[in-house]
Amino acid sequence: MFESIFQLLFEYRPVVFEQGEFRFDTLPESYATAALGAVVVAVTVATYRRAGTRARRRDRLILATLRLAVLAIVLLCLFRPVLVVKAAVPQQNFLGVLLDDSRSMQIADVRGEPRAAFVQREFGSAERALMKALSDRFVVRAFRFSSTATRLGSAKELTFEGSQTRLGAALESARQELAGLPVAGLVLVSDGADTSEASLTSSLLALKADGLPVFTIGIGRETLPRDIQIDRVTTPRKVLKATSLLVDLVITHTGYAGETITLDVEDGGRIVGSREVKLPADGSPAAVQVRAMAGEAGPRVFRFRVSRQPGELVTENNVREALIGVDDRREKILYFEGEPRFELKFIRRAVADDRNLQLVTLQRTADNKYLRLDVDNPDELVGGFPKTREELFAYRGLILGSIEAGAFTGDQLRMITEFADRRGGGLLMLGGPRTFGEGGYTGTPVADALPVVLERSTGSGQARALARLRVMPTRAGQAHAVTQIAGSESASLERWTELPQVTSVNAVAAVKPGGVVLLNGLDERKRSRPVLAFQRYGRGKTIAFSIQDSWLWQMHASMPVDDPTHENFWRQLLRWLVDAVPGTVEAHTTVDRVEPGEPVAITAEIVDPTFVELNDAQAVAHVTHPDGGSSDVPLEWTGARNGEYRGTFVATGQGSYEVQVEASRAGKPVGATVAHVRAAPGDAEYFDARLDAARLRRIADETGGRFYTPETVGGLPEDLKYAGRGVTTTEQRDLWHMPIVLALLLALTCAEWGYRRATGMA
Amino acid sequence: MNGSTARDDSHDHGRSRMMAGPRACLALIIAVLAAGGLAAAALAQEGWFGGRGRVEDAEAEGNSAYDGRFVFVRLRYAASSGGLGFRRGRLAPWAHDYPRADVHFMKILEATTFIAPRIDGSNILALDDPALFAFPVAYMSEPGFWRPSDTEVDGLRAYLTKGGFVIFDDFDGPDLDNLKEQMRRVLPDGRFVELDGSHPIFHSFFDIDAPLEFIPPYGQGQPVFYGMFEDNDPAKRLIAVANFNNDIGEYWEFSDTGLVPIDLSNEAYKLGVNYVVYAMTH
Repeated sequence: MFESIFQLLFEYRPVVFEQGEFRFDTLPESYATAALGAVVVAVTVATYRRAGTRARRRDRLILATLRLAVLAIVLLCLFRPVLVVKAAVPQQNFLGVLLDDSRSMQIADVRGEPRAAFVQREFGSAERALMKALSDRFVVRAFRFSSTATRLGSAKELTFEGSQTRLGAALESARQELAGLPVAGLVLVSDGADTSEASLTSSLLALKADGLPVFTIGIGRETLPRDIQIDRVTTPRKVLKATSLLVDLVITHTGYAGETITLDVEDGGRIVGSREVKLPADGSPAAVQVRAMAGEAGPRVFRFRVSRQPGELVTENNVREALIGVDDRREKILYFEGEPRFELKFIRRAVADDRNLQLVTLQRTADNKYLRLDVDNPDELVGGFPKTREELFAYRGLILGSIEAGAFTGDQLRMITEFADRRGGGLLMLGGPRTFGEGGYTGTPVADALPVVLERSTGSGQARALARLRVMPTRAGQAHAVTQIAGSESASLERWTELPQVTSVNAVAAVKPGGVVLLNGLDERKRSRPVLAFQRYGRGKTIAFSIQDSWLWQMHASMPVDDPTHENFWRQLLRWLVDAVPGTVEAHTTVDRVEPGEPVAITAEIVDPTFVELNDAQAVAHVTHPDGGSSDVPLEWTGARNGEYRGTFVATGQGSYEVQVEASRAGKPVGATVAHVRAAPGDAEYFDARLDAARLRRIADETGGRFYTPETVGGLPEDLKYAGRGVTTTEQRDLWHMPIVLALLLALTCAEWGYRRATGMA
Repeated sequence: MNGSTARDDSHDHGRSRMMAGPRACLALIIAVLAAGGLAAAALAQEGWFGGRGRVEDAEAEGNSAYDGRFVFVRLRYAASSGGLGFRRGRLAPWAHDYPRADVHFMKILEATTFIAPRIDGSNILALDDPALFAFPVAYMSEPGFWRPSDTEVDGLRAYLTKGGFVIFDDFDGPDLDNLKEQMRRVLPDGRFVELDGSHPIFHSFFDIDAPLEFIPPYGQGQPVFYGMFEDNDPAKRLIAVANFNNDIGEYWEFSDTGLVPIDLSNEAYKLGVNYVVYAMTH
């Protein structure tokens, strides 16, 4: 609209004024005419001065000004003002036209027709006005682009099946393709929905350096009237089999405020989780958590799905997929208990049926007397608590029951700290008369690792200050997987209020700055104290659980016989304890999904059994392809980080790839691990698939081009002509006959006449 | 055990039939003697079979509330008739050996293990008492006279299913039939099976390799140790142990009097200690 009005008044498009140089193309006759004009001005002034007796001073001043303005405009025109512009020489310049060939162009949000229709209509035929105007002036080179840009013979070849949109890469490809040629500019036709994570900045810098303007045409609507999108899903890369996942999602929508939708989680087509979500106001993201059971081992693709809602235009963005490696292995946890007590019995019982947890128990029953349970062989722990790092670090989790600090040597206390810090294991300290400050841990390295501040013990380790506590989750605890003891967050919160009292004899009152409290205990005087807290510590995590008899949640008279609360709590807690604990060889790919044909980067971290990084290991990745074939990819030490190795392979076919990384040193195996990656066309095209006009404007603004919509694109050929790039010629454009000049003259004359009528001087 | 491996380690691995390491035995004997001093005076006042007044006094004093510590729980029940002490009109069968057996055993438990029990008394609880569920190990004397009510049956079923452990002691002959009959009411599918010295309960603290050679106090016959497993699965935990043709509580009670040989008292204590440690770890 603005440009139409501008062109109506000023005759030329804004680009002419932006690029042109203002001059006067004065003729010899102009000076004589100017002299005549000066006389007229003098006469005019004199005339109005003489009229002073008949008119008021203000009237004379206004009328003189209006008359002089008219004369000034006429005089200006007599000097023949012009704009000198550089115009592209017809057929001497190339024009790169980049057409978006991605899936998002299939979205039918433009008056009921797909975005692609505009591209095919305007660029599919040389007879169409726009294409003809461009072809008349330039040698057009068309490109299709999605993940890469390639030359295009005709717009009819477009399929709009590209699974990615990489604007920066496309512009860079076109720039390089046309390098060395006289190029008037690039025309980018797209919805601007870039799916790459790469910044546009480097591509734009190259274009700016070449002085190559990009003219962008944005297609589609900037907001979809009714749409639901699963914005983000946060899942772990690996979990143990039979883990109850608590997955965080963010759902955005427009047009469904206040409505309730159902979010389903599927694993291999089977629904493994579901919940209802009430959507907030338009534009407000809904952060939700959904539970799902990882019941099947192997690389599993979990689908998080909201069914199509009435009136929804894009349904592909209702689904997110995540690849989760579900391990069916037994994680070894060492539980060192310093005195026989029921807490041990019931914890063992809670996880006895969990095939993925092995609770190796070292029970001190008397002085220098131990009972070992669930050990793998007769030699395991035969000397008591491990005395070497290699022995201790073979476990993934470590539980310290009611065992006093004095039971360990100084080196063992440091080993326990390093178990979390360096080895990346999970360290859990339980409540009891011999733990925390009461167990003499204050001032030891273990105290540094714990998430709570230890009070200095008042004396005997048996000093008792019994607190009867009712346990309630904190805000963080309400949203944490480990403290979910019922089917939903609200049901879990209510269940906590129903559980019987438990006791603590540990004076744990404060949490360290990095600690997060999940459960608080309220004593009979309503005083609160943290009873379950954790913090990240080095590569691992440390957890403090200061209750000494959580077994009451199983045994208490008020608990139904078949109530699973105690079992669930401890299974969740121990699975969390060993969650994401690294082995001696850890491998991962940069992303869990690539496009078929894309390279996959494998990164491995290799340490020795004491978890010291190895830079001289031999590592190889055995890649099993979806078709059953395999290949070996040697991994090389990066040199950038100790123990870090990298290698790359190309995922040629579609499907799941298993990457088994094996490491050895001096011929001896160090360890092995498995990672998975899948090659599949992505669905990213349908996420944030509205017209991203801001991105297209930015590209145009930073390169000196312009942004158009299908409604304003008619001015593109003219703008390209005066872009000043390529082979140009100088043109001179007269300004005196611009409609606005005539309009001004008429307006001033009419104003003088009108004023005279109003003041009675006509 | 679930097919797992369990090891009992004492760093002084002396083994013999019904014998543990010498250090442990030494501690045991010292503790027996220490306990003896206190209990002997009580025995001198109250006679061999105790008196009704002692039980009434204990119940009058009330049970100690749960405070996180291990407390010996003696199960009280309504008996049909009979019982050695009861027949003489002095003591209910469930109270046989009370209170000295309870106190002596707790002192031994404290002296030999790192368990920190209450040593000044025990709790007397009925099977349908909600307070029972705070104490996952319970002891029943003379189960031959046990005639539980329906609510007691329900209570014991819940107790065992949730994780409780019961020791039946001091019975012989046809008493076993009554125990089995009553336990069928509690757990209709539950079955008592004979245990031999290989079961972990005989190695949870002391290594008792030949428990069947235990000499009962009154020559009731060949002692047999019956066990009932969770879900009747011998790979799972024991939920109850029954000392048939036996009476370890008797040894506990008189261990400080010189009326029973110390060696036999020691063996009775070892069984008791093993039962408790097993119940706390399995």
